[in-house]
Amino acid sequence: MSDPDDAPGSDDGGNPAPDTEGDDSDPDSNPDPDDSWQGRADRALGRLVDASAVERILISVAALVLSVVVGAVVILVSGWAATCQSAFFSAPGLGSFCYDPVSVYRTMAAGAVWPPYNLAISLKETTLLLFTGLSVAVAFRAGMFNIGTQGQLVLGALGTALAVVWAAPFVPAGIVGALVLVPLGLLAGAVVGGAWGAIPGALKAYADANEVITTIMLNFVATGIAFTLVAEVFKDPESQTVQTRSIPEFAQLNPVYFDSTVFSLYALFGGLAMAGIIYWLLNGTAFGYDLRTSGLQPEAAEYGGVDSKRTMVSSMGLSGALGGIGGAVYVLMVASRWRTGIPSLGFDGITVSILAGNNPLGVIPAALLFGALKTGSLAIEFQLSVPNQLVGVLRGLIILFVAMPEFFRMVGRRFRFREDRPVATDGGGGSSADGVSGSATDGPSGTIDNEGGDRQ
Amino acid sequence: MSIADSRRGRWIAALLVLLGIVVALELFAGVLGVLVDIVDANYLRAVLRLTVPIAFAALGGIFAEKSGVINIGLEGLLIISAFTSIAVAGLLGGGDATQAELWIGFGSAVLASVLFALLFAVVCIEFKADQIIAGLAVWLIALGLAPFASKVIWGQVNSPPIATLNNWTLRIPTTDVVLFDASPPVFMMLISVPVAWYALNRTAFGRWIEASGENPKALDTVGVDVRKVRYTGVLLSGFFSGLGGAGLALGRVGQFIGGGTTMVNGRGWIGITAYLFGNYNPLGAFGASFLFASLDALQIRLQQLGYNVPSELIGIIPYVTVVVVLAFVGRTRLPSAAGDHYESGEE
Repeated sequence: MSDPDDAPGSDDGGNPAPDTEGDDSDPDSNPDPDDSWQGRADRALGRLVDASAVERILISVAALVLSVVVGAVVILVSGWAATCQSAFFSAPGLGSFCYDPVSVYRTMAAGAVWPPYNLAISLKETTLLLFTGLSVAVAFRAGMFNIGTQGQLVLGALGTALAVVWAAPFVPAGIVGALVLVPLGLLAGAVVGGAWGAIPGALKAYADANEVITTIMLNFVATGIAFTLVAEVFKDPESQTVQTRSIPEFAQLNPVYFDSTVFSLYALFGGLAMAGIIYWLLNGTAFGYDLRTSGLQPEAAEYGGVDSKRTMVSSMGLSGALGGIGGAVYVLMVASRWRTGIPSLGFDGITVSILAGNNPLGVIPAALLFGALKTGSLAIEFQLSVPNQLVGVLRGLIILFVAMPEFFRMVGRRFRFREDRPVATDGGGGSSADGVSGSATDGPSGTIDNEGGDRQ
Repeated sequence: MSIADSRRGRWIAALLVLLGIVVALELFAGVLGVLVDIVDANYLRAVLRLTVPIAFAALGGIFAEKSGVINIGLEGLLIISAFTSIAVAGLLGGGDATQAELWIGFGSAVLASVLFALLFAVVCIEFKADQIIAGLAVWLIALGLAPFASKVIWGQVNSPPIATLNNWTLRIPTTDVVLFDASPPVFMMLISVPVAWYALNRTAFGRWIEASGENPKALDTVGVDVRKVRYTGVLLSGFFSGLGGAGLALGRVGQFIGGGTTMVNGRGWIGITAYLFGNYNPLGAFGASFLFASLDALQIRLQQLGYNVPSELIGIIPYVTVVVVLAFVGRTRLPSAAGDHYESGEE
């Protein structure tokens, strides 16, 4: 299947843009004389980083707004299907609607930050999503879809739990022990997650196996392996359920400021710092340059001396390590052991990354927003009995809408059209159903466009 | 060695590995003294039933991808149709829905899947979305929407069990000799596979689909609307996935299970691997689906027989096999224009 030669929401890398109607942000309109692969790659990178930054943010915001609107329709329809004692709105002939979208969203927003306990839960989710979002983003920038962050997180969490439980007797309790065990746990998570993530990277690099499918399959495998290992070998003998022994109290990331919650400010700061580190790694180091170049133009990267196969493996390893650290934080901060039913943080990470335009710094607001969304969804279930799975619907919708930047460009262009040339609304996409007659007789401009659309 | 040769070699290697896994597992079961218990008519029947969602997803994927639109949202389409079939049949008839009500559920499920595919087609063809990401979105939307709607309808992510479709029995006319007795979706699958092969290889429509993915400009030049062909390809993927999802829910399980990865449990992804393995040939894709399903049936059977093997570990066999097969088959040759947008020259 095709490589994601550029990130969603960016300009189409290789396509000469067919529209000449004053799209200022399009750098293709002034051709650069440097037509070497290296030159092209540099321009592509520059385009992604600079020119389309504003457009990308606009697209993410627009996608978010559109998801909320479509989500409101979903809420309305489901409220119509649900049965309840008091409907918020009923019309003769239409039936009654149980859920009021406005109040659902209001409850969601309020429930994400108030009471303070909920704010702590939101920030806990944000912390975890920072790591899974960064994990997906790194792979994306290297031109690969890592749908396997979930599996990397599950196995990383297991590595952390086992390492910390194993090492706990050798260290003194208290702060010294914590200073040993917490880094050890994070390292174990990163190593296990990284190794697991490198597998699909290697399979893609050396056997051309499509990473979308292998990472998804490896999610199932990871869950099965972790469950079996815990159930058969590392089960807590005092428990009925399948879980490991608990890590010692002093090795847990304890709440700072937010008492009696499972949120630690230290972990949040760690996540924010990690976003900064990854940003620097991608944009300020040779490794990052290689990674991004092989993501955008693998041939150009090879030509420029990058071992793109090794870059694939190492970037998937890095991506997996970030997922593994997410699992480590989940164990150290939230669960204090490996247990079944680890939430789908890896899949949420896909949305976070895509919403962030796969920019490590953009992951921060995206994780914050999505963390709030998840906590708010608990509030709507608790207070309004709207199923919290709504957040799963929004998760998919956001990805869908970010994936179609052209839609928003069309909307934007339509408005511009109206102002400039009120007559031109007729010639758009609708008439192309007439078949080929137009393009054959349309003269030079049609022919050129045809070439443009067809060229890879 | 030419490219074709090395591809063929890898393909054969993958096939051998897959057969090896099947044989090894069955030998393993044989050592435990149960080979006879496992491989019998019931086992084959179970395999055919398990093939249904995988093979239909694969057939759908072939039409979409050959026409130039890579639809990796097949898993999501299976989820949507599995859910819709149970929801509609359950709302009409409750726990003991009649056959007619089940068939209405079946039809609604196919319709729902086609509508979802239409959404995907519009997003990809009109709005030029990145097909891979849009496909992922279709999957994730289904993964959210189905449990959400389940909770609205049933108060939990799983539905209560309902009836399943009665078997169809094929007899030699005027005698009582039963030729074949199976669930209706199995019949549909066994008919759809050769029909799909015929349509792709022996009809004008098949040539359009092929050209739309390989050389859309040429198709455009001879006066066939590439967009229409691609819409048809994607809608067909919705149609087949609808049959697969409803077949899974109403033909075999009789319930919607919405927890975790839902009852579909990756079968759409396995379907994609099946058609890559089958090199976009419906017959090959069916063969690959059958092999994957036989692994699935085997792990279910081993669990039922209650051997002292951790069931979760046996459960990963089909997924591991998919990874191994992909590693051997590697990159199949995509239709050359798959994944690209095509602009006819009118704008």
